[in-house]
Amino acid sequence: MPDAMDIEVAEQRLKAMEHSEQHYFNSYNHHGIHEEMLKDEVRTRSYMNAIVQNKHLFKDKVVLDVGCGTAILSMFAVRAGAKHVIGVDMSTIIFKAREIVKVNGMEDKITLIQGKMEEIELPFPKVDIIISEWMGYFLLYESMLDTVLYARDKFLEKDGLIFPDKATIFVAGIEDGDYKDEKIGFWNDVYGFDYSPLKETALSEPLVDVVEVKAVVTDPTAVLTLDLYTCKTSDLAFSCPFDLVARRDDFIHALVAWFDIEFSACHKPIRFSTGPHTKYTHWKQTVFYLKDVLTVEQGEKIECSLHNRPNEKNKRDLDIKIEYRLNTQDPRRAAEGTCLYKMC
Amino acid sequence: MSESYPHSTSSASSSGDSDGWVDADHGNGEDSSDESPVIISLVDDRVFTDAAAMLDYCRDKTGLDFLGVRDRLGLDFHGMVKLINFVRQRVHEGKEVPKDITQADLADDSLLKPVLEDDALILCLDDLPQTASPDKQESSPQVDDLLKKNAELQAELENLTKQFSNYREAVQKTLDDRWQANDEPEDAPPQKTKEKDDYYFESYAYNDIHETMLKDKVRTDAYRDFIYDNKDLFAGKTVLDIGCGTGILSMFCAKAGAARVIAVDRSDILDKARENVFQNKLDKVITCLKGRIEDVTLPVAQVDIIVSEWMGYALLYEAMLPSVLYARDRYLAPNGLLVPSHANMWIAPVSDSEYIADHVTFWRDVYGFDMRAMQDSIYADARAVTLPSRSVCGEPCMFRFLDLHTVRTEDLVFSAPWTSKVAAVTTASEKNSLVDGFLVWFDMFFARSRVEPSIKEDSTALGWCQEDKERRVGFTTGPFSTETHWRQVLFLVDKQTKKMCTLGDAEGQNVGGVIEYVTAEGHARGLNIKISWAVGEGEKQDQMWLLH
Repeated sequence: MPDAMDIEVAEQRLKAMEHSEQHYFNSYNHHGIHEEMLKDEVRTRSYMNAIVQNKHLFKDKVVLDVGCGTAILSMFAVRAGAKHVIGVDMSTIIFKAREIVKVNGMEDKITLIQGKMEEIELPFPKVDIIISEWMGYFLLYESMLDTVLYARDKFLEKDGLIFPDKATIFVAGIEDGDYKDEKIGFWNDVYGFDYSPLKETALSEPLVDVVEVKAVVTDPTAVLTLDLYTCKTSDLAFSCPFDLVARRDDFIHALVAWFDIEFSACHKPIRFSTGPHTKYTHWKQTVFYLKDVLTVEQGEKIECSLHNRPNEKNKRDLDIKIEYRLNTQDPRRAAEGTCLYKMC
Repeated sequence: MSESYPHSTSSASSSGDSDGWVDADHGNGEDSSDESPVIISLVDDRVFTDAAAMLDYCRDKTGLDFLGVRDRLGLDFHGMVKLINFVRQRVHEGKEVPKDITQADLADDSLLKPVLEDDALILCLDDLPQTASPDKQESSPQVDDLLKKNAELQAELENLTKQFSNYREAVQKTLDDRWQANDEPEDAPPQKTKEKDDYYFESYAYNDIHETMLKDKVRTDAYRDFIYDNKDLFAGKTVLDIGCGTGILSMFCAKAGAARVIAVDRSDILDKARENVFQNKLDKVITCLKGRIEDVTLPVAQVDIIVSEWMGYALLYEAMLPSVLYARDRYLAPNGLLVPSHANMWIAPVSDSEYIADHVTFWRDVYGFDMRAMQDSIYADARAVTLPSRSVCGEPCMFRFLDLHTVRTEDLVFSAPWTSKVAAVTTASEKNSLVDGFLVWFDMFFARSRVEPSIKEDSTALGWCQEDKERRVGFTTGPFSTETHWRQVLFLVDKQTKKMCTLGDAEGQNVGGVIEYVTAEGHARGLNIKISWAVGEGEKQDQMWLLH
C-alpha cells in the first residue's frame, strides 16, 4: 500500500469529516498502516525473496525505491548487494526511515529523500533497478503506479529492471447472499426505519473485504494486465469485455476482483496473489455488488464488461462501471444490467 | 457562557473581511442582518447575497450566461430550476458545462431535485430580471403568464422549504430596494468566505462509518430504549438533535410522539438524513438543517429536549460537546432535558504483555532489521483499542463526572486526581508482568429529569441501571462489557524513559496521581492528556499523550 498519499488524503478527509464520522477514523494511526503492511507476510516476504534471492541482479547496482515508507525494501536491496539505494517518499515517515536505516548501519548505502518524485533531484542521474510497492486496493485505487511510471521514464537505465514488473487484475462471480444481506439489506430496516437512501450509496461503494474461496461460482478472468516496462498512465483508464462461465448451479450476487503481482526478472520468477484462493493479504479483495441476483446453471456464460477510469475531479478516486448480461435459454432467469461504482 | 465559547462568533472568516461585506452591500445598514441570503455561485464556491451579481460573475468568469440561456430556451420556473441543478450537477461532478445548453439537457425531471440544499438561488428566481432586455419588462403577456405561473410554483416551493422563508423575504426586500433605486447590479464583494472544510462538495458521506455506528447496538439501543420507554417525556415536545448523522435519533423522537424535531448536521450526510426522513414519512415532524449548530437559524426560539450523540474517544476527543452546550444555553427551555444527561470518566492501570509483544516488541526485529524508531509514536499517541478485561490490573477509578445540564465549556479542560488499588496476582508470570500503562473509558447515563439524585459521581452506568432495570438506561464503553465503536483509549508508558514496576511489586498498593485533559494546540479536535502516577510512596512520574 502506498503510504504518503494515503495518510495525507486520509488526514484531509478527516478534517472535512463531521463529528459523527470522525471518531471512527481516529484510529487511523500513521504507524498502524506501516505495521499492517509489514505484518502482511505475503507482501513483505515476496518482496524480500524477490530482492534478497537475486543478489546477482542487485550486486553493485543503483536502486530507486519509490514510496519507500519505513525503507524495508531499500534495506533488502542493500542486503542483496546494491551499490546504493535511493528511497523516496512524500510522507513524514521518511524521518523514521532515516533513523531506522542509521540504526541498521546502512546510512552510507541508502539516501532517503522526502518529496514528490516529479520535483526532486536524485544523487544519480540514472538508476539500474526500480523497486516499489505501489499497489492499492483493486490494484489501482490510490495507487502510486503513475509515480513509478514517471520514475521509470525519467530515471531508469535503458536495460534497467523493475520489481515487480507485472500486475494482473482478475474478476469472478460470487455467491454472497448472507453478506450482501448484512451489508446492503441492512439499510432496508434500521431499527424499524426505511434507510433505502443509504442503500444506493452502499451499492455504489465497492467493498474491500475477505471473500472465501468457496463463494466463487465462476472461473476467474483477467481484465487488465500491466507490463510495467511498457505501460502508460493512460492504460489505467481501461475497458474490458469478458465472459464469466459458471462452474456450478448457484446464485451470483456480486463480482469479486483481486490482483496478482509478478517479479519476472528474478532467477526463478516470484509471484503472489491477493485472490480468495490464497493467503490473506492486507489488500483483501474488492467486491462489487450487483443490483440483481443472477441465477446461473453450470456452464452458462455471463457476458460482462468492466470500465475503469480515474475520476476527473480527483484522479486518485476511481469511477468503475460494470455491465452484465446472463446468457440463458431460460427467459425467467435472463438478466442484464449496468452498475456504477465509485472508489473514493 | 456564550462569550467564553470560541465558536459562538459564527461569521469568522478566513479572509478576515467578514464584517466588510455587509456594509458594502447594504450601505444604509437596514438590511445588515444575519438574514441576508447566501447564494452560492453556479460555477465555483464563491458566495453572494445578490443573485444578479452572482449570475454576472458566472458570465464574466466562465461565459455561462444564465439569463441568456433562460431567454433563448424560454424557460419557465421549472425550467430554470432544472437549469440551475443541471449546471450545479455538472460543476459538482467536475464536468464542463456545455456552451450551448439545450432543452434536451434539461429534459430529465430528476433535475428538479435540488443539487444544493436550500439553494437560495432557486428562492430568488422570480426576483431576477424578467428578460435580458429591460424595455420589455412590463409589456410582454408571456412574461405575465410566466409571473403567474411562477407565483403558483413559488407557493409550492415554499411549502417544501418553509425554514427558508425569512431568507426569501430578505432577498425580495433587498432586490426590490435595489431595483427601485435603479441600481445596476454590481458584483457583491465576496461574502464571508466559507471555511474550507465547510465546502459542500468536499465532505463525503461515508456509509461505512454510519453503518458502524448504527450497528453499535450498545449505543443505538440505549438511545432507542430511552426514547421509546419514555414517550411521555417526548409527546408533544420540540426536540433538537445535534449532529444527527443519518437521522436515526430524530426518527426515534418523532416515533415517540415529539411534535417537532429539528435535526442539524454540518456534513453531507444531512442530505441522506433528509431522504431517510422523507422515506419514512416523518418529514412533517422532522426539519433537517445543514450547518453548524452555531450558524444555522432554527425555526423555533426554544426547544424542550436536546438529544445528541456527541461522544468521542475518551469522551471528549473532537470537542463536539461545546456545540451541544452552546445549543443548550441558547435554545433549551429552562426546564428542558438533555439526552443523555450525565457522563463519567474512568481510568485504570493495565498490563497486557500480548499487546506489547504485538505492537511494541514487534519493531525490534522486522525481517532482521531493527525498527525501534517506530516505537516513539506508540508512546506519544493515545490509542483507541479494545483490551480484554483481564488486562485491567487495578480497580477502575472515576476521575471526572459531568452533569450535562450544568457543565460549562471551560470545565472540559481540567485536571483531576485519581487512585487505583493494584490487584493481587497469583502466578509467577503475572508477578513478573509490568504495568504497561493506563486505560480510559466513559459511562453514559440517560436520566428522565434534570435532577437525578440516584446518579452519584462514581456510579457505574451498569450498576445504576441494575438498580431499576425496567426504567433506567445507560451504557459503558469500558472493558468489562460489550465492545462499542468507541473502544477504550490506551496510554502506554514509555519504558525507555520511565520506570514501571512489576505487578508483583505493586500488588495491593495504590497507584495514582493526576490526569489532565488539555486542548491540543494545532489539533482543533485533538486532546492532550497528561497522566501522572506514583506507586505507593514511590517516585512520581508523568507523561503526555496526544489523542488525534
